[in-house]
Amino acid sequence: MRWLALTLVAIPCAAEAQTAVPAPDQTAQGEVAVTIYNNNLALVQDRRTLSLAIGRTRQEFADVSASIRPETVTLNGAGLTVVEQNFDYDLLTPEKLMEKAIGRTITLVRTDPGTKAETREEARVLANNNGTVVQIGNRIEVLDASRVRVIFPSLPPNLRARPTLSVTLEAESGGARPVTLNYLSTGLGWKADYVTLFDEAAGKIDVQGWVTLTNNSGTTFNNAQTLLVAGAVGDANSQRGYRPRPIPGNSPGTETVNREQLGDFYVYPIAARTTIANAQQKQVSFLDVSGAPAAKAYFYRNNWLGASAQALSADTVLRFSTSRDGGLGDALPAGTVRVYMRDARGAPQFIGENNIGHTPMGSRLALKTGEAFDVKVQPTVEKREALGKDKWRTTMTYRFTNARPNPVVVELAQSGLDNWWHDTRIESESLPSERTSADEALWKVTVPANGEVTLTVAFLTRY
Amino acid sequence: MRPIRALIALLSAALAGAPALAQPVTSPGPDSVSVAIYADPDRWVDTPINPAWLRGYALISEKRTITIPKGRAVIRFEGVAGGILPESAIVTGLPDGVREKNLDADLLSARSLYARSLGRPVTIRRTRGGRTVEERAIIRSGPDGAAVLETREGIVAVDCRGSEALIYDAVPAGLSAKPTLSVETEAAEARQVTVTLSYLAWGFDWQANYVATMRDGGRSADLFAWVTLANGDVTSFADAATMVVGGRVNREGGGAPVSGLDDGEPFEFQCLSHVEAREEQYAPMPEPAPMADSGERDAIAVTGMRMSLSASTPITVVREALGDLQLYRVPHRTTVAAQSQKQVALLNREAVPVDVIYRSYVSGNYVSPPELLLRAQNREARGLGLPLPRGKVAVFEPRGDTSLLIGEGSIGDKAVGEEVEVRVAQATQVHASKRLAVIGGRTDQALTVTNANPFPVRFEAGIVVNDGIKIGGASARLGRKDGRPLWAVQVPANGSVTLTYRTDPVRRR
Repeated sequence: MRWLALTLVAIPCAAEAQTAVPAPDQTAQGEVAVTIYNNNLALVQDRRTLSLAIGRTRQEFADVSASIRPETVTLNGAGLTVVEQNFDYDLLTPEKLMEKAIGRTITLVRTDPGTKAETREEARVLANNNGTVVQIGNRIEVLDASRVRVIFPSLPPNLRARPTLSVTLEAESGGARPVTLNYLSTGLGWKADYVTLFDEAAGKIDVQGWVTLTNNSGTTFNNAQTLLVAGAVGDANSQRGYRPRPIPGNSPGTETVNREQLGDFYVYPIAARTTIANAQQKQVSFLDVSGAPAAKAYFYRNNWLGASAQALSADTVLRFSTSRDGGLGDALPAGTVRVYMRDARGAPQFIGENNIGHTPMGSRLALKTGEAFDVKVQPTVEKREALGKDKWRTTMTYRFTNARPNPVVVELAQSGLDNWWHDTRIESESLPSERTSADEALWKVTVPANGEVTLTVAFLTRY
Repeated sequence: MRPIRALIALLSAALAGAPALAQPVTSPGPDSVSVAIYADPDRWVDTPINPAWLRGYALISEKRTITIPKGRAVIRFEGVAGGILPESAIVTGLPDGVREKNLDADLLSARSLYARSLGRPVTIRRTRGGRTVEERAIIRSGPDGAAVLETREGIVAVDCRGSEALIYDAVPAGLSAKPTLSVETEAAEARQVTVTLSYLAWGFDWQANYVATMRDGGRSADLFAWVTLANGDVTSFADAATMVVGGRVNREGGGAPVSGLDDGEPFEFQCLSHVEAREEQYAPMPEPAPMADSGERDAIAVTGMRMSLSASTPITVVREALGDLQLYRVPHRTTVAAQSQKQVALLNREAVPVDVIYRSYVSGNYVSPPELLLRAQNREARGLGLPLPRGKVAVFEPRGDTSLLIGEGSIGDKAVGEEVEVRVAQATQVHASKRLAVIGGRTDQALTVTNANPFPVRFEAGIVVNDGIKIGGASARLGRKDGRPLWAVQVPANGSVTLTYRTDPVRRR
C-alpha cells in the first residue's frame, strides 16, 4: 500500500517528507464502533493494529474525532503500559513558523524587479516581536516579507496541522498487536423523526419512525458499527427548566418493549456497518405501524381573568396511544412527530408537528399540531362583584363557535384557580365541569355544526 | 493514474471489510412537482413579507422517474430545495423500501478544499514582477493556520497578499457543491420506478392582501384579495401545482436548517510577519453585486389591483378544508421561480355591506381618541361567508375616476360567521372628551362626542368598568359587548352628543 501511495504522488518534492502522503480518502481509523446518545455525545471505540518496538515509544493517533474530549481517552492493549497521554493543539500557522525560527537560519530570496534575477541570502532570525528582526552577515534588518520570500529549513517540532492525540507506550515485547482506543466525542447526536399520516374519517394513523443522526464532529467514521442509546447521559441537572403545562391526555406508560435495554435506556443498533460522514445527517428506519387508532380533539386553556375582544382559535390536538393493544406498540425515543393529512386530491399535506420526550410503551399522547381555523373560543369577564371582605364573585362567559360542517367537542380548561388563594369555588355553571386539579377546571363542550354555544361560570374567590 | 487510484480504493475497501459498493444513481430533477407554502409563524400580520428574509416554509412533493439497478444502489436526488429539512424527507414508491437516507453537507469551499488536501501535493503559482513561476509543494498546516507548505527548497508560507495562489490537482471525494439528499435501496432486479419525494424546506412565505374600495357612500365596499407568495430558495419549481395553507401550524425549533455549516467559515491565507501585514495593500474590494431588489421580481404592487375592477376578473385560487387548516390551490400549474414573488387572486366580491364606525374606549377619566373602523359580517347573506386568511387590508375611497388610499389595517384568520373588524385610521374630524364631577359619594361622568364632518357618523364607546364598580343612571340605553357596557350612537353632521352616567361602588352585602 505504502509504495503505491508514494507512486501516486511521485512529485518533484524533497525526499525528506516526514510521512508518506496518504492516499486519497484513506483513514488511520481501525474497526470503529460508535455509540451515540441524544445529548450531543458519543462514545467512540477504535480498534487499531499497532506495530511497536520493545520499550518506550510515542504513538500518534490520527483521524480521531476532531471534537474529542481528550480527558476521556483510554487505551488498552495486551502487554502495553501507558506512560503518558498528550493532546497537542499548538497549531502550525505562518506566524508560529516565524516565531519558532528565532535563533535559527532562514533563506531570503529577493527578485530583482528589472532583471527578474533571484538572489539568495542566509539570515538569522533575532526576534519576532510585532515585526521580524534578522541579521544578514553584519547587517541588522527588519524583515519585509512582502518584498522577499522566506524559506525555512524545516518544520518546527510540536506544531500540528490539527489537534493530535499522542500516547507514550511501554511495550513488553515488540511486534504488531491490536489496541483499543476509547474516548467520548461531542458533535454527534441523534433524535427520532416520526412521519404520521392521519386519516381523520377513519380515526387512524400510519406512523413511520426514523432515527436521524447528525455528525458535526469534523471527522468521518468509516464503516462504523453504530449503536444509538435513547437517553441523554450525564445531564441529570439539565431537565429542570420551564416546561409548558401539558395538554390533558398525556400519561406515561408502564409497558416494556422487546428491545435491547442498557440500564434505563433502550438501545437501537443499526443493522449493518455504516459510514457516518462528516457534516452528514443520516436517517434509518426503526418503526413502521399502520392503522393505529387516533382521534382529533380541540383544546383551549384560559388564564385567570383571561378575556379577548376577538374569538381565539382552539388548539388542534392529535391523541393516540403507544400501547401494545390499540396503539403503536413500541417505545418512542424523543424526537419530532410530523403530522400529514391527505388533501382533496389525495396528496399528503403537512398539518403540523410537535416534539415528544422519551415515551414508554403504553403511554397516551396528546400533541398540539396547530390552531383550528374554524373552531374558536372567546372568553369574556362579564362581572366582578365584591360580596364582602375577601369575597368576590367573578362571572365568566366562554363563547364557542364552530364553522365546520360537523359538531365538535372543545375542551376548555380554566386555569389559575389556585394562584394565591386556596378556596376558589365554582358557584354556578351552565355546563358541568370536572376539577382536574386544584388549579384547573375542565369543561367538555359540544358545539353543533355551524353553530355556537355559550358557557357561563361564576367563580367565588378571595380576590 | 486512475487505475491505480481505483485499485487503492478497492484495496482499502477490502481491508476495511466493507460490503460490496452500492451503485450510484442520479436523479437530476423531478418530472412534476407540487409546492404547498406555509406562512412564517412568527411574522406579525402587519409586517410585510421581506423577500430577503423569508422564514416561512413549504412542503414540496416531487415525482421522479428512476431506473434502479439490481442489488444495492444509492439514489442521489439533485435539484431539491436548498433549504431542505432532510429529517422531514419522505421517499415512497421504491419497491423494496429505503435502507437509509443521507444528507451530505460537506460542501466544496476554499476552506474544505485546503483542509482535505492536508499532506497532499499542490502547486504554488507565484507571480513576481510580471513573471509566473509554478512549484510543487505539500500542504503541512490545517485550515486555521493556512498556509504553510513544504517545497523542494524548504518550508514556506504562501503570500497572504495574493501574489501567490494554490492550485489543487483534484476535488477530494465526499465534497459536494450543495447539500445533496440520497437514499440507499436494494432491489431484487433492475427496473424503472416512479418515486415520490416530499420534504419541508425553509425560505418561503405567503400572505393575503385585501383591498376594499368603498362605494354607495360608505355603506358597502368592493373587496378584492391577493395571495402573495414568495420563494427565497435557489431552486425554481417549474409548472408546479401550487398551494398556500392558511391557519396556524405548530412548528418546533423554528430554526433554519443546520446543514451546510462549513461554507460560512471564513478562510484566508495568514501572514508570516507583522511588517508584511502592516504594508499589505489589498486590491480595492469589488463593489458588492447589486442585491436583487424588488424591482427585479415580478411583484405587483397592491395598488395595482384596480385593474381587476376594470377589465377581466382574474382567476382566483380554489379553497378546500385541510383538517383544521385551509388550503388554497392555484387552479393552473405555475412556475414558482427561485428568488421571486408571485400574486394570485384570492377572492373578488362586489358590494359587500360594511359599517364605518368611530370607536373609543373609556377607562376612568381617560377616553381614547376615536379610531376609524370598518366592520363586516363574514356571512353569505352579507356578501362574504368564506374563510378569510389573515392579512393586511388597504381601504380606498373613489375620487373622480380614481381611488385614493384612506386607511390601512389588518385582520386575523376569520372563520365563516365571525365579525370582521379592520382598524384603518385615526379619526381627524371626530373627537371624544370626558368630564367628571364627584358629588358626595357618587361620581357623575359626561362623555361628549363631536363630529365636524358634514355627514352623520356612527360612534361606539366601550366603557371599562373597574372591579366592584357599577354603572347607573345612564342618559342613553347602554348595550353590552365583550363584557363591557357599550354606548352606540349616531352623531349628527356638524353636531355633538353627550352621554351622562354615574359610577357607584357596589355596596357590600
